[in-house]
Amino acid sequence: MATAFTPYSYIQCPCSDITPTDRRSGGSPTTPEPDDDDRAFDPRAPRSSFSLYPLEYLMYCEDCHQIRCPRCVAEEIVTYYCPNCLFECPVCVGPLAVTSVETKPDPNLLAAPDNSAAPLAGPYALTCSYCLWTSTEVGIQFDKPNGIHAQLAKLRNGGTTRLTAKERKERRKDPSYKAQPPPPDSQDLDHEAQFANLKAFYQGQLADPNTADAGLALLGDLGFSSPTSLSRIMSIYTGGSLLHDKKAKTRLGAMREALDPDEGLLVASLDESAAISKLRSEGLDGTASTAQLVGQPPNMVEPPLHGNERFLDTLRPVPHLLRTKRSKRCPVCRHIISKPESKVQTTRFRIRLVAGSYIPSISIRQLALSSGTGSGTSASGPAVPGAPLEPLKPAHFLLTFKNPIFETIKVTLGAPATTPGRFASRVTVLCPEFEVDANTDVWDEALKNNAERDRELRRRRGESVSANSGGISSANQLEVGKIWERGRNWVSIVVEVVPASLALAPGNPPLREDEDVLEIPMFVRVEWEAEMAGDEVGAAPSRSNSEAREKRELAYWCVLGVGRIRQR
Amino acid sequence: MSSKRHSILPSASQSGPKPPVHLSSSLTIADSAVLTGTHQITVHGESVIHPRARLDSHAGRVTIGRRCVVHERATIGSSSSGLASARSSAVLSSARSSMASPGVLSPTAAVAGSGGEAASQSTTAQAVTLGDYVTVEVGAVIEAGGTVVGDGTVVGVGARVGAGAVLGKRDLRHENHCTLTPQSAVPPGDVVPDFTVVYANGMRRTDRRGMVELKNKGLARQIEVLRRLIPSNPAKFA
Repeated sequence: MATAFTPYSYIQCPCSDITPTDRRSGGSPTTPEPDDDDRAFDPRAPRSSFSLYPLEYLMYCEDCHQIRCPRCVAEEIVTYYCPNCLFECPVCVGPLAVTSVETKPDPNLLAAPDNSAAPLAGPYALTCSYCLWTSTEVGIQFDKPNGIHAQLAKLRNGGTTRLTAKERKERRKDPSYKAQPPPPDSQDLDHEAQFANLKAFYQGQLADPNTADAGLALLGDLGFSSPTSLSRIMSIYTGGSLLHDKKAKTRLGAMREALDPDEGLLVASLDESAAISKLRSEGLDGTASTAQLVGQPPNMVEPPLHGNERFLDTLRPVPHLLRTKRSKRCPVCRHIISKPESKVQTTRFRIRLVAGSYIPSISIRQLALSSGTGSGTSASGPAVPGAPLEPLKPAHFLLTFKNPIFETIKVTLGAPATTPGRFASRVTVLCPEFEVDANTDVWDEALKNNAERDRELRRRRGESVSANSGGISSANQLEVGKIWERGRNWVSIVVEVVPASLALAPGNPPLREDEDVLEIPMFVRVEWEAEMAGDEVGAAPSRSNSEAREKRELAYWCVLGVGRIRQR
Repeated sequence: MSSKRHSILPSASQSGPKPPVHLSSSLTIADSAVLTGTHQITVHGESVIHPRARLDSHAGRVTIGRRCVVHERATIGSSSSGLASARSSAVLSSARSSMASPGVLSPTAAVAGSGGEAASQSTTAQAVTLGDYVTVEVGAVIEAGGTVVGDGTVVGVGARVGAGAVLGKRDLRHENHCTLTPQSAVPPGDVVPDFTVVYANGMRRTDRRGMVELKNKGLARQIEVLRRLIPSNPAKFA
């Protein structure tokens, strides 16, 4: 509240309109439907915050002649890329670098080229240059400085290697390994190994119909743990018809469940005393935060049960996520409205139809009037920009519409007389209808001959030549229906606002957050004449004309946040 | 964060009182380093003071250990701002009051206690002491007021050590090796344990890299290079 308020203007994307009004065909200038008039847009409605965007966020479809917002465009991925082919620190999110753990053999060598020539001696670790985290904290070191991802997949916290699924298979086949008794501790199993073991076990069970069917065979056909029921369930989900599987149906008998780690059995370790004693010794500072745990990749390497990653010293390096470049399509006509260059290095766009180059931008500035002119009252608010507005005292705001297109546009504004919401401020747009000149070349303007320029200037000053007696000072008066100021491709008009008092009747709920911000909903209609698009058949009326010009129209709601009202 | 940019100013900031200095013969001090104040400034062997680094002994004695590097625009012993001096005097008074009660020694009091005589007590209580192998990076500020920066500490770019803060154990013969990441801050009077990394808006963690030796060697080599790059002119300050 102490910070100065910056005025803003947000534009409502038409995609959030509940009643679809078809203004897409720019054929004939249709006035807005009557029901549009009495249905003023309420910027405070809960839905509104999802449909209002600053102009910079909006796109524009050239074929539909309509605004498109990030919510209504369809996105397609152009390319995936890796922002940094390494890992992120699990503690802070800084990038990790591969460094040698050992000291270099000869520290006395000072000359730089000698050092770079000397090969860095392993082992290596990932270190964060910011928070000084290093993978040796979780006991992970690497033999080679490259291929870190593959090496990390084989390393468990603490540095013990683990077998990949392939190696396990080979080892199982190996007679010398078979001979020795399998390790009894189930902690040896990690996610991947357990799944592989279970899969192998059940496949074996399915393949062999004669396994141990004595126990549960009493249940007969209903044998819940029989291969039949399993295949029946599978056929339900896969959509295959049950009748096909005649052979399987004849197969009866119960399936055994996994009994040892080799078959995929993993006994839950419910003994948490180690974790508790660790918590006692390290305190809360030793535990990982939720954000850090969420950032951890699924750890396929550790035993899966009962959250091993609860302490900071179990966090593993996080691989960078891939990023994407996306193109955007219009949801209606499927034309591409934004397409970045597919090459990762370039930041350019092949196609980028942003709304800022099609619809006028609106900037807001508070007007400090020296004396009471025009509208009667003398007070026109504080001169300090961003200061709170005095309730019940008229304030004036200058709206500057800047035309980005190469045609003269006609702007019509509509605003409800009072702002919606609990505190109704009065709003008067002093000049609701005006034209903004085309966004011509700056040099064209400068090189125009004098007489023409003079006429132009006069036209700009006061719309009529006769009112030109007093120069700028007389032109800059608050007069209803008059433009305040006019430039090459911009026009300023004045909006008078009488802020409501924020005094609450007793019993009313207190002021909500940002309810003191004075927001003016405003309906903007822009009309212009454009050259006919070559292949457009829709606009028949003017087609017979040799110089095919068609009228275009764009209408949308926007919200102007002009300031905060002072609270008593 | 000193908004004042010394690099724009000519050496006008040299205009303050010339402090009594005790500089080691093996040190490298740039011509345009700024040494001001009234108390003793001591810099031990093989340390490097970059150009436009500022050592300010207005509040108290400034002591810099061996093989330290003080970078450009770093300020050691700043107490010029009224806030800082108010803080440090608060620390001083608390140090005195704790001196009165035996047994409980605040860190500042412990440093002051080593001073001995009562006359030098105030200067020592307002002192700044840097251990060995300390790096104070560009634009960092170490406020005066019994501040102790332990051995092997790195004070990052634009970091700030408040008055009376102690980085590492008080025992300077101990390897402390704290790290302040850029733009981080240690509040006045705070005691930071050994091997602490202060990062990300006051978060702290322990550095378990065990790279002390590597770091010290690296610093020694950096100093070797800097000695050749920075023309030393200790005579100017003597």
